[in-house]
Amino acid sequence: MAISEHEMRKAYLYAFSWVYGPKNRFLRQILERYGNDPEKAFFQELKGNPRYERDVFNEYMDLLNKGINVTFITEDDYPLRLLDIPDPPFAVFYRGKLPPDQILSVSVIGARDCSEYGKYVARILGEAFGRNGINVISGMARGIDGIAQKASMDAGGESYGVLGNGVDICYPAENRDIYDRLSINGGVLSEYLPGTKPLPGYFPPRNRIVSGLSDAVIVVEARVKSGTLITVDMALEQGKDVYVVPGRINDRLSDGCNRLIKQGAGIVISVEDMIEELKNREPVFDFSCRGYDQVLGHRKAVKVDRSIKTFLPDPDEKKGEIIPMNDDEKAIFDELDLNPKSIDDIAKTLGISTPQASMLLMSLALKGAVKQVGAGYFCLKI
Amino acid sequence: MYSTVYSGALLGISAYMVEVEVDVSNGIPSFSMVGMLGTEVRESKERVCVALKNTGIDIPPMRITVNLSPADKRKEGTAFDLPIAVALMESLEFFEKGASKGILFLGELGLNGEIRPVKGVLPIIKSAAQFGFKECVVPKDNALEAAVIPGIKVRGIADIKELLGFLSVNVEKRDELFPAITVDIDKFFREANPGEQPDFADVYGQESAKRAAEIAAAGFHNILMVGPPGAGKSMIAARIAGIMPPLSIEESLEASSVASVAGLIDPKEPLIRIRPFMSPHHTVTIQALTGGGSSMPRPGLISQAHRGVLFLDELPEFGRNTLDCLRQPLEDKEIHIARVAGNITYPADFMLVCAMNPCPCGYYPDLNRCKCTQTSVQKYMGRISGPVLDRIDLCVLLHPVEISRMQDEKKGESSQVIRERIMRARQIQKKRFQGMSISFNGDMSSKEIDRFCKLGEKERALMENLYKNLKLSARAYHRILKVARTIADLDESDSILEKHILEAACMRLGGDGNGNF
Repeated sequence: MAISEHEMRKAYLYAFSWVYGPKNRFLRQILERYGNDPEKAFFQELKGNPRYERDVFNEYMDLLNKGINVTFITEDDYPLRLLDIPDPPFAVFYRGKLPPDQILSVSVIGARDCSEYGKYVARILGEAFGRNGINVISGMARGIDGIAQKASMDAGGESYGVLGNGVDICYPAENRDIYDRLSINGGVLSEYLPGTKPLPGYFPPRNRIVSGLSDAVIVVEARVKSGTLITVDMALEQGKDVYVVPGRINDRLSDGCNRLIKQGAGIVISVEDMIEELKNREPVFDFSCRGYDQVLGHRKAVKVDRSIKTFLPDPDEKKGEIIPMNDDEKAIFDELDLNPKSIDDIAKTLGISTPQASMLLMSLALKGAVKQVGAGYFCLKI
Repeated sequence: MYSTVYSGALLGISAYMVEVEVDVSNGIPSFSMVGMLGTEVRESKERVCVALKNTGIDIPPMRITVNLSPADKRKEGTAFDLPIAVALMESLEFFEKGASKGILFLGELGLNGEIRPVKGVLPIIKSAAQFGFKECVVPKDNALEAAVIPGIKVRGIADIKELLGFLSVNVEKRDELFPAITVDIDKFFREANPGEQPDFADVYGQESAKRAAEIAAAGFHNILMVGPPGAGKSMIAARIAGIMPPLSIEESLEASSVASVAGLIDPKEPLIRIRPFMSPHHTVTIQALTGGGSSMPRPGLISQAHRGVLFLDELPEFGRNTLDCLRQPLEDKEIHIARVAGNITYPADFMLVCAMNPCPCGYYPDLNRCKCTQTSVQKYMGRISGPVLDRIDLCVLLHPVEISRMQDEKKGESSQVIRERIMRARQIQKKRFQGMSISFNGDMSSKEIDRFCKLGEKERALMENLYKNLKLSARAYHRILKVARTIADLDESDSILEKHILEAACMRLGGDGNGNF
């Protein structure tokens, strides 16, 4: 089969990746030793090596046939932003696309077991970015990650998920729909070989790619000890801007966020404000300083396009005025917020009977004004 | 000399009559017993001989043969001691031949000659009355229990001496010298004092859980309570039996029969007056729960909870197989057990009350305290088999009790007040289901739901709206209607109104749409 020179290089590099996995620095050193010529490196290092008794081209074609693409640090299509981070992955496997260098991208990250508040913020942020052509990068995890990515795709935007396992495996399995949609409306990326099972140790390193691919990192909800804060550390190390969504001080799920604010992180006070903020930042990635320009002589920093469409917020908050309700329902509606409250508490505060309260709440739920989060708990629906 | 005496043996909660035949003849001295006997019955030989000797009756060295007929059914238990002794004495002519005619004997013997209580007296005497027996002799401690059966004279006898006296006197004088034991059941039930039971007034807060318990008790719906540790789930469960209407005499006879077979009847309380409340630990085995045993199956906890409450605390901790065994009894209200000794059917019409923590740590959905991941919460919930959840109509979430509630001077409603409301609702149901095989809203099948849960125009639209918006299944739809029917009954409303439907929908299982609760 005819194969372009460009693809040939990738086939050889894939062989290296196959043998050594994500040993990024080591692989780069080998290549440099052979003047960045993968073919030469292959015949010197791997040909006849008992660890690689395979056909280079067939292996590579198999990969492509599975719908998985790959790029390498030495290649032209390698995401420029990743060249700017301290430990760039040698290989990036992906389904769908790679995030384009010239489009503004933001990562929205946060707790897996998030509150209703966190879900809400993740959703409106994702939606706003999607509608404004800003790419959302995240880890496709449960909770905040997945919600933001889904919302951005729902709003017509692109999103990219970085996995801690092979791109042919959907983890967590319940995000199957997001996984499938990402391959169409964006991409699923991983530095791990296809087929790699999700192991706990793989997730912290993937977080550096999440932040590495972004121009700014937004933390929606995080406990003090969490994987989200690992991503934040990586982002700071990479010189990215970190924004956090503030929370209540008695909320354990916002402790991590509030602490970051104290340490000087940016604060998300509204979606409009966030968009404005992103628009006015200077491009942050400039790989030339890292010395890769010898390697990639012909590649220069790309200016990120920050022309953002006009942003129109949804009239979400005005729901109370749009949905018709009687006085009793209104009283209950005003009592509720985003924190789930039990029927008993609501009934007690308003001085009405429990059956009366559950009836009114259920009727509001049917009108779409409130949401039932368990058999006895309700919160505002947004 | 040959003689024969009647006794009875249990078969589930019914019984069959056993003829005890004794023959004493010349030959090599021996005492042999036949008739497919269990170990206890075979041992009876020693008890009978020694008890008779210690009463002053000498058994001559002759060839004694005992047969328990029908000889192809396995006999168990100690109740045959007394009839064997009576038949033996009759053969040896210690009293007039024919004195034991038409009398059913039951009782275990002590070596000193005293007659000790046995299990299953109530169902055996009940069957005996049906078979046409007019008189029976039972241990003194079982006399009250036997006396609740009308149409049969009950003699409570303490030891063999008294028995000999009884059998020796003239038949006409028996009633005078050994008066039959009687119980005035109506009076006994009027005296019933359920006030000794735990009261709902002791439960702090948890108004919605109490309300759900009330609805469940009114319509005989199965209920699931979900809540953090210490919220009062077990307290509420223990009080549900107390707000159900008092046992009727028929119900009590059924429940007492099971208790009698299980040997749980108090000698001073011949009938169960308080609804049973069974709370098995989650390590319970299938046999203990459903009934079983190697030869003659004994009633399990679900049968002992007949006409009462079966409370399963920490529901997800129960073995999946154990819970799955409840599926059929929940549907059929009885359990069929097949063993070598035969097929037995025990009644098992109980209200299922379940309690569980919302997650392994117990604090979900309070994310400040809950340490569990979403997956572990769902896994925890997933441990309960779907078919069992399918039979639960009501689900209620309890929340941690606030200090203000505990210090609140105002007490909650007492069980008495709640029970009166429930009894009115049950009265309505009684009228509704007259002449039908079911008696409660909770028992309605979809056919009956169509018939008795007629909706108005507005209510139909509401149900349609609910069905679409809450993504209900057909089963969930019917459950909401059943519960709404009960709420309407509590409200003494003929038709189901919107408010009833909304309240019922609020207590449905799977409230958050993610399959959680």
